[in-house]
Amino acid sequence: MKAKTSNRDAHTLAGAYAMDAISAPDREQFERHLAGCEECAREIASLRETTAMLGTAAAEPLPAGLKERVMAAAAVTRQQPPPDQAEAEPEPEAGPNARRHQATAKWLRSLAWPNRLALGAAAAVAAAVVAIAVVFGVTNGSMQQQLDQAQASSQQIAVVLTAKDAHMMTGAVAGGGTATIVMSHARHALVFTAQGLRELPASRGYELWLIGPAGTRAVAMLPAGKGGMTGPVIASGLRQGDHLALTAEPAGGGTRPTAPMMLDIAL
Amino acid sequence: MTAPGSHRPRPQTHPASARNPASARNPASARNTDSARNPASEASDLAAQLGLVARGDGAAYDAVFEQVGPAVFGVVKRVIRDLAQSEEVTQEVLLEIWRNAAKFDATRGSATAWVMTLAHRRAVDRVRSVQKESDRERRTAAADIPYDEVVEAVESSLERERVRRCLNSLTEVQRESVTLAYYRGYTYGQVASLLGVPTGTVKTRMRDALIRLRDCLGVDQ
Repeated sequence: MKAKTSNRDAHTLAGAYAMDAISAPDREQFERHLAGCEECAREIASLRETTAMLGTAAAEPLPAGLKERVMAAAAVTRQQPPPDQAEAEPEPEAGPNARRHQATAKWLRSLAWPNRLALGAAAAVAAAVVAIAVVFGVTNGSMQQQLDQAQASSQQIAVVLTAKDAHMMTGAVAGGGTATIVMSHARHALVFTAQGLRELPASRGYELWLIGPAGTRAVAMLPAGKGGMTGPVIASGLRQGDHLALTAEPAGGGTRPTAPMMLDIAL
Repeated sequence: MTAPGSHRPRPQTHPASARNPASARNPASARNTDSARNPASEASDLAAQLGLVARGDGAAYDAVFEQVGPAVFGVVKRVIRDLAQSEEVTQEVLLEIWRNAAKFDATRGSATAWVMTLAHRRAVDRVRSVQKESDRERRTAAADIPYDEVVEAVESSLERERVRRCLNSLTEVQRESVTLAYYRGYTYGQVASLLGVPTGTVKTRMRDALIRLRDCLGVDQ
């Protein structure tokens, strides 16, 4: 690109850039140009506001369950820290206040981290509880009672939900319903929940299985659903290569699945 | 800023309400009578909510979700088309808002623009990452695109009507360039091939078109 025309060339890319209608190398080049061109940055900002309106005009209702899945995932996702102002601050000028400013910044830094970490951990646990509430439809006091009863397992659940490698998967259940799991290989466990499972006759119940190189293990009979929500059920003893399966078994359950698989998620 | 194709004075018909289509539709936003009366404050509400999200506030995240979720899904689906993939990318985008709320900088643009830029870019990235495998398929499919389909699909509501009207105020090539680029996720080079015009022309048309839309929609500069 010739120096004389580069500014103008780059400028004409503003529209394409604002619509992401630009290849990666072009994008990089344009962003380099933007960094040194305040007028271009202003133009891009106004064009971005414009394309945002094209976007919001296309709004449509979210698919069922999407919000619950994202909220649950957010609960197990650590947030990126904001930019560190203390680090971004330019070197204080030498002056009567310089020493004091430096000392203050240092003090803030020393204070901020442990507090932030403690806050982060507390928030993570609180968020996990919120996630459980959201996913399992805990909205009133009677569920609180159930949660209390399930305190021990909710501890285990929190451990899985807050694990560093925790991640969420969903699967459609044959015959109706959606299963959502959060699993952690580091914790060798997963938390299973389901929405909208078809009600079974009293003589049968849903049974959860782990199937893999380590063999087939019965995890648990699912409790009866409440308001369309089933679970949470914790499955421990998770191994690499396992699949999670669901079958409808005689109410007492069994040690081997006898009915067709209604769900098969590779873990 | 002066630019070819910009009309002054800009139309001043309630620019704020056009920027906040959610305000008219979303009953939740009517809770706050101030924001119901003055949608501009809802835009700053979103910015304020993002600030709270950055501090890990779950209720604020819920509010942000309600306000931007449908728009994120809508634009992602327009670009990607495949429902399962659209849901996946929508989830990624909404989760990214949670993760990166602290990176939102109100001095550089509105919260809506930040969110929609993120959503559109992720959708485009997804389409382009799978594009190599299906390049031929896409070329064939692209030949059949009815260009005004998106404009037609933009349903009636005051805000949508406004966007539609402004899109229709563009020249045909401008409108096609915008819909193919923004709603379909094509690069200007691909748009040039589809329309059979030089890339330089497409670049210029795209910029002129957005400037005209900006002025028609009454976007503050």
